[in-house]
Amino acid sequence: MFILFALITLLGAGAMILQKNVITAGLCMVLTFFGVAGLFLMLSNPVAAALQLIVYSGAIMVLVLFVIMLLNSHEEEPAKSARPIQRWGGLALCLVLGFGALRLALKSPAAAALGAQATQARAMTLEQVGQELFSSHLLAFEVVGLLLLATMVAAVALTKKEL
Amino acid sequence: MEGLVTGNLQGYLAVGFLLFVVGLCTVLVRRTLLMQFMGIELMLNAANIVLLAFARARGNDVQGTIFYLFIIGVAACEAAVGLALVIAFHRHRQTTDADRADLLKQ
Repeated sequence: MFILFALITLLGAGAMILQKNVITAGLCMVLTFFGVAGLFLMLSNPVAAALQLIVYSGAIMVLVLFVIMLLNSHEEEPAKSARPIQRWGGLALCLVLGFGALRLALKSPAAAALGAQATQARAMTLEQVGQELFSSHLLAFEVVGLLLLATMVAAVALTKKEL
Repeated sequence: MEGLVTGNLQGYLAVGFLLFVVGLCTVLVRRTLLMQFMGIELMLNAANIVLLAFARARGNDVQGTIFYLFIIGVAACEAAVGLALVIAFHRHRQTTDADRADLLKQ
């Protein structure tokens, strides 16, 4: 099951980067988010999986697709200048970084030890999260609410033609 | 190596790192602002996978999920403001190409 969701995630991301059409890329992105939600389920964390589906696939990607259709920018515009050094250099940097990170993750004895001592944990419940959130993190919760309000005002101010 | 199939901590770390690299690659190689924005979202998701994998390795610590909740709260704010900036940029320059945002260079 893990390998299935991991493949959905990575293939969705790979299809997104190769896609010419921005709307199709956005739909590949939704597939990636579904894969990530599946990975969270495999981590016995259904709360995080539900949040992932509601917030990312439900809210953020709908917003992105709205903006793509609003701006009518379905295709990538022809490049003003090719900039081959920057593009190939960035790609080579990414490949080196990916290879190094993969090697680090698979060869690290500390990660292997931490993974080996992991016991059968109980699945996360919403009750646990809610009790912890409203007892120890109440102030941070209120601050996030304030941040969302400020963001709403900022988004309206930025998109309005003349305020 | 069989942890990559059944999914131990290292398997999740590998998926998170690879997802991060794909997101970084999108930001560096693609020119459309909206594609770069999606690359940033991918990198955020990669960080979330690694965070929750470590929380699971520590016996499904509830603090990990709380932290994840705050991360996606901030990510939603970032998405709203980022898309508003893309719209504002499109209004001024009639394009969503990041390479054409070069007013300071001229």
